[in-house]
Amino acid sequence: MDVTAGGVEAQQVPRQSFLRRNHHYFLLLPGALWMVFFLIVPLAMMVYVSFWTQTTFAITPDLTLRSWQTFFASETYFGALIRTLRLWLTVLVITFLIGYPTALFIGQFVKNKTTQTILLVACVIPFWTSFLIRVLAWRPMLGREGAINIVLQDLGIISQPIDALLFTELSVIIGMVQIYVVFMVGPIAFMLARIDGSLIEAARDLGASSLTIFRKIIFPLSLPGVVVGAIFVSVMVLGEFATASALSGRKVNLLGNIIVTQVGSLKWAFAAVIGVILTVVMAVAITVLLRIVNLRREL
Amino acid sequence: MHQLPILRFSLAVYCALFILFLYAPFIVMGILSFQAGPEGGPQFPIIEWSTYWYQHVLGFAPPSRVAPLPIGEALVRSLTLAFATMVVSTVLGTLTAQAFRRKFKGSNIMFYLVVLGMMVPGVLLGLGMALVAREAGISPTWWGTAFVLHVVYTYPFAFLVMLAIFNRFDPAVEEAAWALGVPPGRTFRKVTFPMIFPGVLSAMLFAFTLSYDEFPRTLFTGGSDVTMPLAIYGTFAVEIHPNLFAFGVLTTLFSFALLTVYGLLMTASVRKGRSKASGIQEDIT
Repeated sequence: MDVTAGGVEAQQVPRQSFLRRNHHYFLLLPGALWMVFFLIVPLAMMVYVSFWTQTTFAITPDLTLRSWQTFFASETYFGALIRTLRLWLTVLVITFLIGYPTALFIGQFVKNKTTQTILLVACVIPFWTSFLIRVLAWRPMLGREGAINIVLQDLGIISQPIDALLFTELSVIIGMVQIYVVFMVGPIAFMLARIDGSLIEAARDLGASSLTIFRKIIFPLSLPGVVVGAIFVSVMVLGEFATASALSGRKVNLLGNIIVTQVGSLKWAFAAVIGVILTVVMAVAITVLLRIVNLRREL
Repeated sequence: MHQLPILRFSLAVYCALFILFLYAPFIVMGILSFQAGPEGGPQFPIIEWSTYWYQHVLGFAPPSRVAPLPIGEALVRSLTLAFATMVVSTVLGTLTAQAFRRKFKGSNIMFYLVVLGMMVPGVLLGLGMALVAREAGISPTWWGTAFVLHVVYTYPFAFLVMLAIFNRFDPAVEEAAWALGVPPGRTFRKVTFPMIFPGVLSAMLFAFTLSYDEFPRTLFTGGSDVTMPLAIYGTFAVEIHPNLFAFGVLTTLFSFALLTVYGLLMTASVRKGRSKASGIQEDIT
């Protein structure tokens, strides 16, 4: 129907018809241009500059591999890459382990939609405080005279305050888990809430145990949520530097921290190299995650 | 699964502990914001309860060794930036989602191009933009280089929200209006827009809050006039005082006010939509 109608009009008023047939491309144009100029061009520039020659305070567009060699030859920088990967995987696993039970409760055990929404909103409310202040709020929690040490001492669980809580890798992990775990809970709870209850009932009628139901039905159906959550957490943790510098006393240097320091000392080419490496890590991580489930089909 | 009362109970307890974990730093921050000043530090024990740090943030406290937070102008800049980002990204997101209501060639590429904007870590985008600006001889400013990056970040969110809204939208209503001879512009104003308005509000809320708090994208591109998050980041390097906590409490309250306004607008639009649904025909003629 649509095709013939368009065809008839095309013969009568060709110009308006051209606009009408292609009007969605005009709707797309502003967004596409914006993304090309302010997203693709900057990223391409970063890749390009990573091959430029770095002198003390300037960069010149003479192509070289020097900055790349410096990165892989230096133990500090290569160590930062390993540390970033380790911290990312740790945070990813912990957010999943901590977040899944909460999502399971909200998505499967709370049957009332309003209660579900209230619980999810309660998880999201902390996001309306500035990210940096949320990070800083961990300092009085974790310090030697911090809330956790005070509570544990009052309860008689420990006799000496734990020093390892603040300005270590552990404090960075605790801070990141608390900040990013919600991105894991939200998508998983969403997928769990969509599971058709009759499916579970049918399995139960056929004599499946609760564990089997979880393993064979609930978990596989929640997997797209896990993948979306994992992508969110990965993107945010891999690009992190503020949490690391605030909670580790600048002792834990992630790739993001090195970019910030290098830009601060005008080492643009070197910062660009680290940027490209970070992009590659991210692309690999997202590709692997997307292999697990086909998101466009599942959502 | 719901026939397991013990599991249900233990998961409920776990969920409560989880929420406590999310809120614990805020509770501590709230308590410490009432620390005595100016000699009290950002740690326990509370020397004496006082509202000194609140007065300090708002500029009422007498000058002391603790420098006041440089927030006045930064706050105005951040709000302006967030507002501009909100408007531009909501318009772009709505336009793009409107185009996606039809199947067209290259829709996959366009989809990933837009979604890439929320996937690329801010620090990389900031770095890339700073390099482009450097080579092009543009000096970085919060209303220029930083603004365009904020939109790159928030536009995908607006797009996805609007895409979800349009997916549930029944095109027959619009077609009915066209069939009755209502011009497209009027149809959009009187039929389409009221129906997608809740989505537009959500997209605006997303864009505003994300931009207001955006930090890694602004760090390299914001120039010398700092926005709010940059001002807070500046205090990282030096000693922390409880005035930051007082400020955190105040901004949280401000966010709640914003959220309440959003909630009220949302309820109002839903109610209006319901009462109007019956009278829609008189309205468009």
